[in-house]
Amino acid sequence: MRKHLRKITVIMLLASIAAAQPLVRASKTPRLTDEQRIVHVLNRLGFGARPGDVQRVKSMGLENYINQQLAPEKINDAVADNKVKDLNTLTMSTAELYEKYPQPGQIRRQLQNRGVLPKDSAEAQDNQKNPRETPEYRQAIQDYYKENGLELPQRIMAELHASRILRAVYSERQLQEVMVDFWTNHFNVFAGKGADRWLLPGYDRDTIRPHAMGKFSALLEATAQSPAMLFYLDNFQSVSPNASRGRAQVMVNAPVQQPRRGINENYARELMELHTLGVDGGYTQKDVQEVARCFTGWTIFQPRGGAAAMAARGEDARMRRPAGTFFFNARAHDDGEKIVLGHKIPAGGGFNDGLKVLDILAKHESTAKFIATKLVRHFVSDDPPPALVKRVAAVFTKSDGDIRETLKAIFFSNEFNSPEAYRAKIKRPFELAISAIRAVGADTNGGPGTHQWIARMGEPLYGYQTPNGYSDTAESWVNTGGLLERMNFGLALAGNRIQGTQVDLSKLAGANTDKNKMIDESLKTILAGEVSAATRATLLKQVEAADPITKVVGLILGTPEFQRQ
Amino acid sequence: MNRRFFLKSGSIALASVGMSLSAPSFLERVVLGREVTGGRRKTLIAIFQRGAVDGLNMVVPYGESNYYAVRPGIAIPKPAAGNDETAIDLDGFFGLHPSLKSFKPLWDSRQLAIVHASGSPDNSRSHFDAQDYMESGTPGVKSTGDGWLNRYLQTKNDSRNSSFRAVALAREMPRALMGRAPAVAMSNMSDFAIRAGRQSATLQNGFEEMYAQQTKDMLGTTGRETFEAVKFLKNANPAQYKPENGAVYPTNPFGNSLRQIAQLIKADVGLEIAFTDMGQWDTHANQGNTRGQLANLLQTFSSGIAALYQDLGQRMDDVVVLTMSEFGRTVRENGNRGTDHGHANAMFVMGNSVRGGKVYGRWPGLKNDQLFEGRDLALTTDFRDVFGEIASRHLKTTDLKKIFPGYSISESNYKNFLTT
Repeated sequence: MRKHLRKITVIMLLASIAAAQPLVRASKTPRLTDEQRIVHVLNRLGFGARPGDVQRVKSMGLENYINQQLAPEKINDAVADNKVKDLNTLTMSTAELYEKYPQPGQIRRQLQNRGVLPKDSAEAQDNQKNPRETPEYRQAIQDYYKENGLELPQRIMAELHASRILRAVYSERQLQEVMVDFWTNHFNVFAGKGADRWLLPGYDRDTIRPHAMGKFSALLEATAQSPAMLFYLDNFQSVSPNASRGRAQVMVNAPVQQPRRGINENYARELMELHTLGVDGGYTQKDVQEVARCFTGWTIFQPRGGAAAMAARGEDARMRRPAGTFFFNARAHDDGEKIVLGHKIPAGGGFNDGLKVLDILAKHESTAKFIATKLVRHFVSDDPPPALVKRVAAVFTKSDGDIRETLKAIFFSNEFNSPEAYRAKIKRPFELAISAIRAVGADTNGGPGTHQWIARMGEPLYGYQTPNGYSDTAESWVNTGGLLERMNFGLALAGNRIQGTQVDLSKLAGANTDKNKMIDESLKTILAGEVSAATRATLLKQVEAADPITKVVGLILGTPEFQRQ
Repeated sequence: MNRRFFLKSGSIALASVGMSLSAPSFLERVVLGREVTGGRRKTLIAIFQRGAVDGLNMVVPYGESNYYAVRPGIAIPKPAAGNDETAIDLDGFFGLHPSLKSFKPLWDSRQLAIVHASGSPDNSRSHFDAQDYMESGTPGVKSTGDGWLNRYLQTKNDSRNSSFRAVALAREMPRALMGRAPAVAMSNMSDFAIRAGRQSATLQNGFEEMYAQQTKDMLGTTGRETFEAVKFLKNANPAQYKPENGAVYPTNPFGNSLRQIAQLIKADVGLEIAFTDMGQWDTHANQGNTRGQLANLLQTFSSGIAALYQDLGQRMDDVVVLTMSEFGRTVRENGNRGTDHGHANAMFVMGNSVRGGKVYGRWPGLKNDQLFEGRDLALTTDFRDVFGEIASRHLKTTDLKKIFPGYSISESNYKNFLTT
């Protein structure tokens, strides 16, 4: 016992000495083996190792690898680019998406207005059925889609899901993809809300990706002006009560169902609570109201597509700007003086009011602390070490919110490289699915067959309703239903039962006829060989029956060890 | 790391000391029949009508002349003896839609109560927002992370560690049950298994062994629970379930969900919260009147619930069924013989402990000047007062503050539809 205590004291002493060393020295912590450090970096800065990755990083040097990942724009990513090149919606503007992927209901109304289809009420003689579901209607709408080269809007999200899966699996810019996942979650938008499914491809492409490794302030401003966020958090319909009623309403293009006027505080509140300061970040309800006033008039032109579908075919030539894009509607703006977190914003600022608010928030010390805490929680531990958070927040502030510099401070810290952090995080379902596909060297098209598994395990992409985004701690993910689906996912992947994802397991463990060798090879590739003796013994028992490699790999993907990163 | 985790780790640690000292596992407790020794457990079955049911055609205020004036094409006619295509009279003012005729016996035996003109005080007419508010239990606040039913679970320690304390018969975990307290979501009990064809049993043994070895962490504990639950469901053999008392569930997903809820209740697995939902209530066009779209939906809805009631029989002493929908629909019918998004709605509360046979809540009237924003049924009962009464009087929680943050629940606002 005493010996044990002494050992702990020595470790603590060593740790405190190491903490005082410069950051680069800290990376030489002796307690993780070189190979473990590589595995750790591949798990946390990316979605886990593919067969051969550990060796590749070893030959180029771990520090080089980390620095390379911090500069994704310099990494050739032809393989991933090629994988997503046939996903047409990724490169379309929102107006094009509205045009090519319209709601069937919208088409139905247009056909009715043109007299191609009878009006609902005239059709409803026997009152038995919703006429939208009669074969006649369905056929007419189907024909219209066909004749005009249109597709159903469901396709948009399917392609966006596929692109996220494909890039996470195949991109050499692994850290970039991890950060896209992180920020997409931090600035969460739910695809199920109204027009958001048409707005999300642009959100991923134009808002999140360009800024994922840049300056936080630029990312914040991009989200504030993104139609996806403006719609999701209702700011598009936030109108100053002093605005001239008629005009403001017409310009805002409020939906028929919600003839609401007035200030909407939703975005203002979440902007401070979830995007920047954090719930205890020092703002008041009065600040929420003042910030909401600053953002009145930040809206979307034709938020639900409006006449976009018809306009592009020349049926409405009065379009002044593309549907579904950001614009500042001065008529809806409250131009009086505001006071935000003690800063005076003089009257008459117009569009600049919102920009000023974003600037105040991006520079606020609570924001530095909040972002540092979330990043450390994501990359290091569910319980972020306070000392590290403090150092990382300081780097965030000093670098003017430079995301790369901030990440660097984490990756080269003692805490990140400590045995305490090693395999200490439970993978989220997206991370689990991607890391499994990578570990066994499977080939995927990222299609619905794969995404459905991610959803079943509990993390459908863009499927989180509330603005706080998916949790980043284990207790949210370790539950009976979720765990069972994780095991079933591993079995389905190894058994080639996921549509659109194939794996050739004979490549994984070679043509090993020796049971022990087969298990060891599989464990080495998937888990760097790190499982308990008991787990290995369980696997050995399983190889008696037919098709042993499928069972062994399926079981390994479902081990407690593989749920960790 | 939550409190529950420590409690459960504790019991695992005990188990590893030796069998004689070990706390019986969940499955063992079930098998040994010890589950029932802790006294009867109260259960709430919450049913969400997604899409906003037209409460005015579900529970018809036939005593309002304006009801007929503004709904020329879709109104349900006043009760008329011998005519099935009229409202079923309840109290001389309200009547049930004729598709709800299987509810009438429950009304007559005072096991069915209605809370009319109830719902969310927030005036959102967005399905998304309004469902969110009703399930989080915090109207107007979007950032609430967990659901009100989950917060209820959090207010009480579960001494029996049941894996089935809260079950959603749904593909995804509903917002109302999201949160720190464990809950299970499944669309079919038979899917809650290792699914690998003929190899399933062997592979399940393999996983079970691997997770049993992880004695010190959350994964091991949860893994153990998982396989207990899987085995239990397998033994329960959902495919062989026979409803009692001649109950016949409709053969559709809603009926299947209710049948499985009844099965879980009868298995005494410690079920406290069951949740399921039914969609398609968003009747903007051709909703019909005594026949048609809404009538068909109400038929499925009522026949399912009536079968559940019949099947559970005397167990309804310990069960309350509550139905809800995110908002009501416009008082006036629209140009497509449908109704648009409105405000207040009606909720059903059923059970042997319910003071039924009464429509609760102040009726605000349907005259044009009595309407909310000139178009909708006004709200007189906040849904939290309905939920609160059930949470405290049926589920016996005392910590209503935690369940409904930012809202002061007071007994004086209860409608007293439950016996105390």
